[in-house]
Amino acid sequence: MRYVLRKLAQTIFVVVVVTFLTSIALRFLPGGTDVIVALKTGPGATKEQAEAVIKELGLDKPLIEQYFSWMGNFLTGNWGQTFQTNQSIAAEVKRGLPVSTYLMVYGQFLALALAVPTAVWSAYRQNSRFDRAATTSAFAMLSMPNFIVAPILILLFSVNTKFIPYPSTYTSIWDNPMDHFKAFFLPTLTIAIPLYAGYMRVLRSDMISTLQNDFITTARAKGVGTGQLLFKHALRPSLFSLVTSAAVNIGALMGGVVIVEQFFLLNGMGRLTVESIFRREYPTVQYAVVILALIYIFINFFVDLAYAWIDPRVRAHRALG
Amino acid sequence: MGHLNAPSRRTPGRLLAALVISAGLIGAACGGDDEGSKTTEGSSPGSETTAGGSDSTAVATTAPPPTSAAEEVPVAGGNLIFAIEADTSSPWRPSEMVCAIACHQVIRNIFDTLTLPNDSGGWSPYLASAVTPNEDFTVWSITAREGVTFHDGTPFDGAAIVDNLTRAKAGILTGNIFRAIDSIAIDPADPMTAVVTAKTSWAAFPFAIMGQAGYQASPTWLAASDTDNSLKSKPVGTGPFVYADYKPNEVFKMTKNAGYWNAPYPYLDSIEFRPIADGLNRRDALKSGTVDMIHTTNSETIVANRESGEFLSTEIANNAETSYTLLHVSQEGSPLTDVRVRCALAYASDQQLLIDTIGAGLNQIAFGPFSPTMVGYLDSTGYPEAQDMAKAQELIAAYKAENPGPLSLSLATTQDQTNLTVAQQQQEWWTQAGIDEVTIDQIDQANYIVTALLGNFQVFQWRNHGGFDLDMQYHWWHSDAAPPVGDLALNFGRIRDPQLDALLEENRASTDPARKKAIAEEVNRLFGTQCYNLWGSHTIWDILYKEGVHGPVTFELPEGGNAIFGAGIAGTFYPMTVWVDQ
Repeated sequence: MRYVLRKLAQTIFVVVVVTFLTSIALRFLPGGTDVIVALKTGPGATKEQAEAVIKELGLDKPLIEQYFSWMGNFLTGNWGQTFQTNQSIAAEVKRGLPVSTYLMVYGQFLALALAVPTAVWSAYRQNSRFDRAATTSAFAMLSMPNFIVAPILILLFSVNTKFIPYPSTYTSIWDNPMDHFKAFFLPTLTIAIPLYAGYMRVLRSDMISTLQNDFITTARAKGVGTGQLLFKHALRPSLFSLVTSAAVNIGALMGGVVIVEQFFLLNGMGRLTVESIFRREYPTVQYAVVILALIYIFINFFVDLAYAWIDPRVRAHRALG
Repeated sequence: MGHLNAPSRRTPGRLLAALVISAGLIGAACGGDDEGSKTTEGSSPGSETTAGGSDSTAVATTAPPPTSAAEEVPVAGGNLIFAIEADTSSPWRPSEMVCAIACHQVIRNIFDTLTLPNDSGGWSPYLASAVTPNEDFTVWSITAREGVTFHDGTPFDGAAIVDNLTRAKAGILTGNIFRAIDSIAIDPADPMTAVVTAKTSWAAFPFAIMGQAGYQASPTWLAASDTDNSLKSKPVGTGPFVYADYKPNEVFKMTKNAGYWNAPYPYLDSIEFRPIADGLNRRDALKSGTVDMIHTTNSETIVANRESGEFLSTEIANNAETSYTLLHVSQEGSPLTDVRVRCALAYASDQQLLIDTIGAGLNQIAFGPFSPTMVGYLDSTGYPEAQDMAKAQELIAAYKAENPGPLSLSLATTQDQTNLTVAQQQQEWWTQAGIDEVTIDQIDQANYIVTALLGNFQVFQWRNHGGFDLDMQYHWWHSDAAPPVGDLALNFGRIRDPQLDALLEENRASTDPARKKAIAEEVNRLFGTQCYNLWGSHTIWDILYKEGVHGPVTFELPEGGNAIFGAGIAGTFYPMTVWVDQ
């Protein structure tokens, strides 16, 4: 419990730092508040209009006061409206969040779902044809970044065969599951391919090491079946690096989502952030960045907790101080 | 308006989205003379005047006929998904829109304009049933068409016109167009008529109300959106389609206005406009079958489709915009105030090379602001027609002899890679000509327009000046619209030329087609010899659509004659004429 509380305290500290820096970012834009005013009101704002904008955004307050005011708005969902399109920022984020979440979850899930069995069997059949094919293809996939994979997939599946629609248009899974999965198929594949390759290699390596342990030999001697041996006895102690890798990859995954959403014109958080930057919709960028940062921070918090579950040695080691 | 030189891989979409602020203000420039078809006088059906840009050679081309069978009987119904190059507006209020071509292509389905350009090179009433001047063209009466209501049920009448025009006059950008208007009021004798009083004789006034300044929005909606910002993105007009949904950067949906006053239009039940900024992505979306129609200026796509015939196509080249490099010609201490330096830059440039290498050789090289179908177009304007580096070096040397010290220039471009490539090529040419230092400033797109409006630049990549009557260029070039740097102005280059002013003023008041043509040609020569801008190429817009879609055509105007493409801005057409196989 002390470990959990310490991790929670660290997480809260990071959240405060991130939200504080984000909340005051508007003050440090090149051109200062004049730029904000011009963006909000259009060129040629009167002095009164300028003052109203500055007040509305809390730029006239001391930093701490501005932060608490901003946090209050953030927590109550009172995020204001976009400069140019007069849309609710909260609604924009609400529209983009599920898209990116689905994409990250699907990408991660697909990568793990493919990587785990492939790595386990590869390790078990080390140096077999299957192993060589799997490791070679993984190496090739690792060297293919998203921005190469995406246009190839679009060309193959959309432009040439018309099998998958392009651009991808988000449809709720509850409204039309088929359209939903069609929209996410290529973006998910684009995200998952390099992830899969990395996970497969990491897990294979750990599995090979685990399979050489005495307890595996003992289990085998006791007549434990191959499936049980691999997935019950060997997999769990081999997961540590994979979980670490999956957690660390969340940051990269978010970066990948930004790129992939741009390629497939999928309106998620990544595209919202990029387009908002291009349009200089700074408050939208602020909230989008904070949301993405919070997701990253809390996922890492849970991953830290997961370490202790996966490997009791971590728990014991940390308990000892 | 707005941007760089020859359309190319990444140029058209993002750049236009950012740059074309004010082309939306009106459809600019002269009525035109078409390369093939010549028609007779372009006076305005339904109007007592011979208003607008018409002459014996003036005509609007409607571009090559659609490849689909135009003779087929249109069928009502169906949905069209149309990928456009940008989502450039909202607030969707006529007096506030910052509008590129894509924005006009969308919004003119919701808002009708009071007038439209016709195929005689002049104008015709459209939503207005009559637009009539007094004898000296200082007072214009605009009569609302009977029986028309806005989508929200608000009647379209004289008060609605007054409200819309008054807001346009007060608009930061649209106000530039109406600078010459003294008052706008309802006719005491006729509630269906608005009376516009100009400060001077303004025979070409109807051209000013065929674009953004002439869009008619519901006064009820305008009033409500004055206090409720969220309504600003839900426009209400009298147009052939009714607003259904708008998600910025994703989709603008509209459904058929079943009671549209100009029956039998529209044919489609609904249209979805989806912004896809990159021209090649747009093409791929069409190839994948996800969208039914796209528009593009991407040379590679246009040339490839001409060769393959993969998609049905309607090319729109009439009254086209010209891409060019804009020069700030009156900044104190700037070398660009000297005509020798300006023309040296022109002599040093090889525009044809850029067209061939970056623009797939598609577009016609420009030697002036007017494209071939516009009144005032000349094959030769006095502008340097081919690269002559020796001449450029000679001019720069002469300038330096009188103005010792380092000679430097700042060239602004966007963050678009193609534009940067062009800028780097210009930098190389101009340095070779003798400019000591040419720096390139990449400016983010949102700031690009503001920079132009404020006049905070020396050399700028741009595209503009499509249109019908020369009067539509008035606010781009007249010294009235050239305040000091730091003030907002549409005369971006701050041209202050008394001869140009006089020509623009004479054209504004003139109704004689022959004289108007002569004036426009004189303006063209002035731009050529003074090298106020460095001309690039004339733009072609291509509408590509798949089998089963019956592409855009023009239509008969209520008071006679035919509408032509490119009303609000060059390259636009009328989606209400599109229909799809059922």
